[in-house]
Amino acid sequence: MELETRREEGTLIAKAQSRVDGANAREFQDALEAAIDAGDRALLLDLEQLSYISSAGLRVILLTAKTLGKQDAKLAVCSLSDPIREIFEVSGFDKIIPIHPSQTEALTALKS
Amino acid sequence: MPRPAKILVVDDEPDLEPLMLQRMRRHIRAGRYEFLFAHNGVEALERLREDPGIDMVLSDINMPQMDGLTLLEQIPQVDPDIRSVIISAYGDMKNIRTAMNRGAFDFVTKPVDFEDLKVTIDRTLRHLAEWREALASRDKLVALQNELDVASKMQQSILPAEFPKGPSYQIVGSMEPARSVGGDFFDVMSLENGRIGLAVADVSDKGVPAALFMMSTRTLLKGAAIGNSDPGAVLREVNDLLHEDNEASMFVTVLYAEYDPASGELHYANGGHNPPLLVHADGSSTLLPLTDGIALGLVPDLKYGQDSVTLAPGDAVVFYTDGVTEAMNIENDEFGTEGLRAIFAVSPPSNWEEANSAIFEAVHAFAGDMPQSDDITCVTLWRRESEP
Repeated sequence: MELETRREEGTLIAKAQSRVDGANAREFQDALEAAIDAGDRALLLDLEQLSYISSAGLRVILLTAKTLGKQDAKLAVCSLSDPIREIFEVSGFDKIIPIHPSQTEALTALKS
Repeated sequence: MPRPAKILVVDDEPDLEPLMLQRMRRHIRAGRYEFLFAHNGVEALERLREDPGIDMVLSDINMPQMDGLTLLEQIPQVDPDIRSVIISAYGDMKNIRTAMNRGAFDFVTKPVDFEDLKVTIDRTLRHLAEWREALASRDKLVALQNELDVASKMQQSILPAEFPKGPSYQIVGSMEPARSVGGDFFDVMSLENGRIGLAVADVSDKGVPAALFMMSTRTLLKGAAIGNSDPGAVLREVNDLLHEDNEASMFVTVLYAEYDPASGELHYANGGHNPPLLVHADGSSTLLPLTDGIALGLVPDLKYGQDSVTLAPGDAVVFYTDGVTEAMNIENDEFGTEGLRAIFAVSPPSNWEEANSAIFEAVHAFAGDMPQSDDITCVTLWRRESEP
């Protein structure tokens, strides 16, 4: 699974593509783990290009948030399309993972 | 011929032994069952240590020296694969709940109905056979595919084989597993005062760990549902217990509902699951509002809200998993709740057994040649127009 990544002031920004389901959730997890450095203060997942995420994919996001927590780093997501937002809302994940409308707003929130 | 199933009966009542042997004599003679007896928990543990061939334990709760609940805690230390069924006083929901939470597979109530007891014994033995087969295969695991087979057997073994029946309602449900991804299950339970508990759930991962998580969820739900008429409190209890020992951050979305056939009232709590669909007799339908719950196993000490709706005669509620609404066709369109609602809008069902199958057919017809990517589960509860 391809992850497009860049860094901005200690925040790793990763763009997820197409879909994450049971078949490629492990790949998604490996790609995220490989991208994260010990020095990262936060991970922002940009989900604009994501068309579908299954519960296995949500679990990867959660595991990644846990891993980051151990190095005192935060995780947030941004730019959710309506179907993805609905998946976050129905599962209750919108109450566990901070969601922001855009990268700019997410970066401001992560800095504070 | 397979050897008879060895069942250890633990009860301090001296009458039970001759009664059991008498009522089960045909099955004993046919070589299906072999009974051993103990009169308290201490004696039972001795028998279990002496005889590693014992398959299941059937135990009373109140006994001298060591009671049934303490025995339940001790059994796994002797053999974790023994399954226990508890005999309790009718209506003693507190003890039954404790027993279920301590890993009892099922329970029967006093006075013992031997026909019902036989059904319960056979279900337990069937589960045990599937469980052993799964364990044996697991030992031989060489590839992921094998592991998925094991998981799928465990998944199938916990689904109910039959549903409670009543003159004023009908319940039908089934689950079609996807080839590689799986995590759906459902349960339908008869509760006290004629109420019925319904659960539809989806575990976040696949494979054996997810199947084990599924089995814990099912057992905890059963335990929490008994003697608790507040679905929000049921989810709260299960959430806390699942969270206790969840290093792998697995989670399960659960829709749990209690139906009272006498009044038509349905109370439900939604733990991060797809909202059920209420279908009226004219084919119109509405999604039942979410109750602000999060998927179970993630965050401890959460309060789960609940909501209720009264079914008018002719109304039905469709409980489903995302395998239904997120089924995709070749153009990557989702079946959606619109697809589900359209089934009933076109022709309001008069027979819900057929309607439940029609949902599966509609999903397959929509998906066409696209491989099924997730388990599909659908359970319907129908309040009949009039009692036959």
